[in-house]
Amino acid sequence: MRIQRHRALIAGAATVIAAGAIAASVAFASGSGATGSPGSAATGSSGSAAAHSRVAAAAGSRPAGRAALNWFRAGPAPADWHQVTLPGGGAVLSYPPSLSPMTGDKGTVSEGFTRSGRVLVYLNVTPRQGDETLSGWAHFRVGHLTDDDASSARLDGAAGGLRFRGGPGSCVVDDYVTRVHANHYREIACFVRGAHASSVVVAATPAADWARYGSLLERAVDSYAVR
Amino acid sequence: MTSRRLIAILFGAVIALVTACGGGSSSAPASHPSSSPPHSSSSASTGAAAKQKSSGGIPQNGGGDHDSDNNGGPSDGDGNI
Repeated sequence: MRIQRHRALIAGAATVIAAGAIAASVAFASGSGATGSPGSAATGSSGSAAAHSRVAAAAGSRPAGRAALNWFRAGPAPADWHQVTLPGGGAVLSYPPSLSPMTGDKGTVSEGFTRSGRVLVYLNVTPRQGDETLSGWAHFRVGHLTDDDASSARLDGAAGGLRFRGGPGSCVVDDYVTRVHANHYREIACFVRGAHASSVVVAATPAADWARYGSLLERAVDSYAVR
Repeated sequence: MTSRRLIAILFGAVIALVTACGGGSSSAPASHPSSSPPHSSSSASTGAAAKQKSSGGIPQNGGGDHDSDNNGGPSDGDGNI
């Protein structure tokens, strides 16, 4: 009787442990797969209440993601817009007269519009600095945001093979929350390859103001030209 | 089924559980770089060091860097840390 009870206990324990092992294997397998899926949460936690992932895992264009950039049509800026050329002559940014120069890194150009110290419209052009590529742009940009100054970032759309004035480009639409002050911005960021130089154009606004300024940002990107 | 056989099964199940947990924890870090840019290995260093590392790039950190994005502003197009 006692021996039979021991056998039953051992058999039960073995069954439970085996089931646990199988469940753990399945859980880890599905978890690692999720890190590679577009738009899914990946590693770590920002602690932010927002539904952002610490590092958005989406790394390339996908059919649904391209919709966020369907507005793109390269073309000249409105006649009354101003133009500023990147030092070195590699790119030309067009912007509306309501914007004014903003402080930025040497060798870049930044134009923007602020109210009460709050940046409402931000345009920036920077020569290629790191490992940016046309094919890996989405992965690079969203990863760079969280490596640099964002506590979280989310890829909202991406497209490659865009024909800018002067060369091909890849773009993302994303939103992120800054480490400092937890400001939530939404941006269009494109890497564009010119005949002589490659550059990045960024057009951003607070996420809450996208409805108001989004079309302006799109127009600035549409008119961006490289050489 | 003998008690010895059942103990062997129990031992095997424990080994399987330990292997599953161990394998999972070691694969998690491996998935991290796949969602980070190629230069993310330098993120362990300070921002200043990482920026100084850039070759032929825009001067950073006292060398001309006036990033608004370091103060809660929008991120610029600088591809360096």
